[in-house]
Amino acid sequence: MIATLLFALFIITMLLGVPIGASLGLAGAAAIALANSQTQWFGLLAVPQNFYAGLGKYPLLAIPMFVLVGSIFDRSGVAARLVNFATAIVGRGPGMLPLITIAVAMFMGGISGSGPATAAAVGGVMIAAMTKAGYPKAYSASVVGAAAATDILIPPSVAFIVYSVLVPGASVPALFAAGMVPGILVGLALIGPAVWLARKHGMGKSEADLPRPPLLKSFIESIWGLLAPVVILGGMRMGWFTPTEAAVVAVFYGLFVGMVIHRTMTWRDLFPILKESGELSAVILIVVALAGIFAFSLSTLAVIDPITQAIVNSGLGEYGVLTLVVLLLVVAGMFLDGISIFLIFVPLLWPLMQHYHWDTVWFGVLLTLMVAMGQFTPPMAVNLMVSCRIAGVSMETTVRWVMPLVLAMGVVVLMVIVWPQLALWLPQALGF
Amino acid sequence: MPAPDSSPPTPAAASPEAPPQARVPLAIEDWLTVIIMALLALITFANVLVRYFTDVSFAWTEEVSVFLMILLAMVASSGAVARNRHIRIEFFADSGPEKRQRALAVLGAALVALLFIGMAVLSVRLVWDDIRYGETSPGIGVPQWWYSIWLPIVSIAIALRAVGLMLRGGRAAAENPDLPTSPEVLDEERAP
Repeated sequence: MIATLLFALFIITMLLGVPIGASLGLAGAAAIALANSQTQWFGLLAVPQNFYAGLGKYPLLAIPMFVLVGSIFDRSGVAARLVNFATAIVGRGPGMLPLITIAVAMFMGGISGSGPATAAAVGGVMIAAMTKAGYPKAYSASVVGAAAATDILIPPSVAFIVYSVLVPGASVPALFAAGMVPGILVGLALIGPAVWLARKHGMGKSEADLPRPPLLKSFIESIWGLLAPVVILGGMRMGWFTPTEAAVVAVFYGLFVGMVIHRTMTWRDLFPILKESGELSAVILIVVALAGIFAFSLSTLAVIDPITQAIVNSGLGEYGVLTLVVLLLVVAGMFLDGISIFLIFVPLLWPLMQHYHWDTVWFGVLLTLMVAMGQFTPPMAVNLMVSCRIAGVSMETTVRWVMPLVLAMGVVVLMVIVWPQLALWLPQALGF
Repeated sequence: MPAPDSSPPTPAAASPEAPPQARVPLAIEDWLTVIIMALLALITFANVLVRYFTDVSFAWTEEVSVFLMILLAMVASSGAVARNRHIRIEFFADSGPEKRQRALAVLGAALVALLFIGMAVLSVRLVWDDIRYGETSPGIGVPQWWYSIWLPIVSIAIALRAVGLMLRGGRAAAENPDLPTSPEVLDEERAP
């Protein structure tokens, strides 16, 4: 009864456009008060306690720092130089620019922790270049949006940090390592349809006429960008820094490159960068904190176990249930953003994971794959939103180009479900 | 279908007049956000350097950093409430007649105000317990209320910003020209 009210209140207020954090917090508080109507203050002291405890976790500090890294590298001029270097390697020709877009987005994924930041950095360079070479803008926006989705899979990744805070036993380094192979697979899977579409529709005819940058010069210019993932991922792998510290080292590295080497930034640019990344982090963190209240009320009401039992005994079998979960996430991904999906669904799915002995790291990669796919599947597609705005096209025009890319990614999701070792091999080999 | 001149959500078309200014300048939250973010980066970086060169690690930095992060989340949230930038489902709320959109925005602001007034009242009780029982922090051993006192204070600020948003009829406050948020980050705030 109270549980029904909890979910009804949450879903109705959320659909009415109330901030998701407020919906979670109010529904949680209402359920706690009704369940403890006999006790002093209705047990509501648990509300600020869970709010504070939900935020007061050191690993969460990696979120504002990686958001800051994304904002700084966005303006550091690294993306443009990486594009030049990639062009010098693969050369010019129809279908080469989309390939370069995907490769550079994957590489930027090894620096920044969020998809939209990469979409902005890569889109800012590539969409103009692709338009000049004769690719339709809607197609370019689709490729950039899809390519940037590899970002939250390829470490570092804000999504994995949130997941690791929610799931005991899934450490950030293990998740980071587990995302690597699936992230690269997604990138490779996207290249196929992207190049095929370009060839089939005769795009980029004038690309071959553009000059090819000299190899050595472009390599030297891009060396600072090429070294960034080495510093971040290598430093974590060698045990030099925790993920949070790796992010901070990347912040100062990015500032040095942007201000001293490439001179694309000044001191004055630093203030808006700090403010916007603080604001974005707060918008994420406040939902994390308020979702703590919701999760607490779920656990005290003990509603998840009966639901889990009903699902487990429904005769669907392990793969039937997994299919259902994936379909549920596809639908949720159409309306909800990635962070909210984690915060709402991980507590609900946790008993299922335990019952079927699903590996928590593998399941985290699967959830993140679904979120990444949602980031470029219209109508609610944050990466596409960014790339469409840069290209100056509406999201509707991208649908015909995006769908083959979504399908290609769906194949990778299936592969990771069928062969969990694709995700789990690297963390085991590295000993996490 | 809404009238063609009211449907696109672009700022220019949605409101011919400039976005309203908040009565209490939002520069307070904006500059505090800048300072806290800078402090967080500097403290953590100093920790890395000191440990690398001396093998000593500041245990206290973890406690202070976590406190600063909580403060960041709340202070920057306060500014984001006034500008109506918190994550929400815009699918139904930002379409349809102008009047309904405004009503839903006011409803959202009212519920945010309700939640954080409640949070402020309840957390005063927590702070009082911290003072009464002389709780000290686990890391440095300073009185716990030095940290917890900010929970009710900033909760009140958030609630007041939400009330301000209600009084403006749900219209988001103007951007700070000195510290603008870039369009990329604005997109990301809608769906991180």
